[in-house]
Amino acid sequence: MRRWWIYLIAVLGLIAVAAPFVWMLLGSFKTDGELLRVPPTWLPEAPTNGNYSELFGKANFPRYFFNSTLVALVVTAGNLTFCSMLGYALAKLNFKGRTPLFVLVMGTLMVPGMVTFVPLFVLVTNAGLANSYPGLILPFLVSPFGVFLMRQFFAGLPDDLMDAARVDGTSELGIFGRIMLPLTRPALATLGILTFLGSWNNFLWPLVIAQTEDKYTLPVALALYSTGQNAQHYGLLMAGAVVVVVPVLVIFLAFQRHVTKGIAITGIK
Amino acid sequence: MTTQTLHRRLVIGGAALTATALALTGCGRSADSGESGPKATTSVGSEPATGNLTVWAMGTEGENLPKLTKEFEQANPGVKVTVTPIPWDAAHNKFTTAITAQSVPDAAMVGTTWMGEFADLGALDPTPSGIDTAGFFPGALDTTKVGGTSYGVPWYVETRVVFYRKDLAAKAGITTPPTDWDGLKAMAKAMQEKAGAKYGINLQPGGTGSWQTVMPFAWSAGAKITSDDDKQFTFDTPEMQEGLKYYQSFFTEKLAGTDLPPNQTEAQFVSGQVPMFISGPWMAGSIAKLGGDKIKPNIGVFQLPKNKTATSFVGGSNFVVFKNSKNKDSAWKLVKWLSDAKTQASWFKLSTDLPAVKAAWDDPSIANDPLLPVFGKQLDDAKAPPAIVNWEQVATAFDTEVEKMAKSGQSPADTAKAIQTKASSIGTGS
Repeated sequence: MRRWWIYLIAVLGLIAVAAPFVWMLLGSFKTDGELLRVPPTWLPEAPTNGNYSELFGKANFPRYFFNSTLVALVVTAGNLTFCSMLGYALAKLNFKGRTPLFVLVMGTLMVPGMVTFVPLFVLVTNAGLANSYPGLILPFLVSPFGVFLMRQFFAGLPDDLMDAARVDGTSELGIFGRIMLPLTRPALATLGILTFLGSWNNFLWPLVIAQTEDKYTLPVALALYSTGQNAQHYGLLMAGAVVVVVPVLVIFLAFQRHVTKGIAITGIK
Repeated sequence: MTTQTLHRRLVIGGAALTATALALTGCGRSADSGESGPKATTSVGSEPATGNLTVWAMGTEGENLPKLTKEFEQANPGVKVTVTPIPWDAAHNKFTTAITAQSVPDAAMVGTTWMGEFADLGALDPTPSGIDTAGFFPGALDTTKVGGTSYGVPWYVETRVVFYRKDLAAKAGITTPPTDWDGLKAMAKAMQEKAGAKYGINLQPGGTGSWQTVMPFAWSAGAKITSDDDKQFTFDTPEMQEGLKYYQSFFTEKLAGTDLPPNQTEAQFVSGQVPMFISGPWMAGSIAKLGGDKIKPNIGVFQLPKNKTATSFVGGSNFVVFKNSKNKDSAWKLVKWLSDAKTQASWFKLSTDLPAVKAAWDDPSIANDPLLPVFGKQLDDAKAPPAIVNWEQVATAFDTEVEKMAKSGQSPADTAKAIQTKASSIGTGS
């Protein structure tokens, strides 16, 4: 074993990454008293499912879960559809003003979200979309980063494929949908994971745009129940975080194969 | 290479766009958001409330409030109250965004330190006549006043007192709690020498929120944060220095530690490591949670010790009505109902929030509690910082200087001077 140190580094890295997660998982079965104790305990002394039953006992919990899932799924679907279309047009179709349009998209990427936050809120409110699902979803349905990612990927695909399809009489829509798009699967998987994560974890926008509790998403509800003015309910927070993380893990495992494949493909080029 | 030129053009174009977008959004904020709104309510009518009311409240208050507003709906059959609970973490963001976009609720619970800012944005409706303000604790009522105008009412209060371990105090030979500054220090010393404590008392050596413990001592020595018209800061005074000096002496005499891990006050109290601290009513619950039933009978509280006065800090939350509400009359009726002594007492039972109305403290659920009456007495002499727009910034500067004083021995005189200089350059914002 000449390269034992590589494994050592890998194991250390794994511990550094996994330890907080394990702490969270174990902590979700502890009482607040045990969580705050010094010196801390790793394994719960008296494991309790009190945090979980309190969490699921909150009347609206299934509702928050539904809201989060709906918003994240629609936003992800929207991004996959629109970003790939726009990215394709910007990379492969020749039309007047293509470069300025791309520059414009890139420009919006460079404006920090916090700067546009309040104007965006005013805009959405004036459109009468405050406290509605469209209000939660629309602003994120297409992202400049997604467009950029898809454009770069499309640009790397050979034009010959399109020409061959044209010669064979495929329609322009067919070229996009049946020839080019399937080739971008790795990019789509990456975009899908990133968008889903972003939407799933988004806190500030849902907090501000949702005016009644029935439109709250999981992160907002979690913050609501676990933080007080003077005290934190850490056990509940840990349990909530575990519940929030599980769907993300499932999504990642589902897409992960495509992402690694994507990395392999780009490696060959 | 074409890609390189494209890249350069991209960067330049992007930068130009960013600058434009920044400039555009920069002037998007309208400072006078509320002033074009409807006129202020002048009095509260006596007929029942009607229509729909939306109310925002934070954290557990937001969770529990619907149970209370149900009673209001029963008394006023024509009204429907929708309560939206908001997480404490981000409530300030949500409020300021909503105020800017003028999509505010009818009424809301608001942290006492935000009053100056929201009133300055023109978002709040001045308190109409017909709401009896005489029944509130004076210190709490002051938090609703911004520049001489009253906005809303105090809803619930909290104040800071000294917590101590009764069993360890007995061991240290202290039978009656001290009432003056020297007595408090003697007690801390006795705890250390006779009761085996590492430090006599837990005092925050600066850092976020330490002003809430330091200012009571300064207030008790006669100091004031601002001049009477709230235009000038008055941190650099002999009274302020006296308060700071007393606070620092606990650290220089090793009665309080700078080397304790933070946020372990409850644990150190339960273990007996540090058997005294100054904090608010919620600590009794936190200690009981950590230490179990056996610690409960050993939790004792007493009022802050006296110098010129024995003034503490008053916190809590106020209830306000927004100027842009379309149903202001009914909103004020809700506020009036919430500040009724009977409603306040039932709210205490629902939430354990201490009532802002004095009369509610006669309710047996509070009067017979072993600890709470001490808080009630302390509330008669409790203050909040003036409702100035920039208070949070000034408080941060204060906390930083206190940290230098407690940890690295900056003299109280220099500390007072530094706070004054920093505060003056921040300005009161009005």
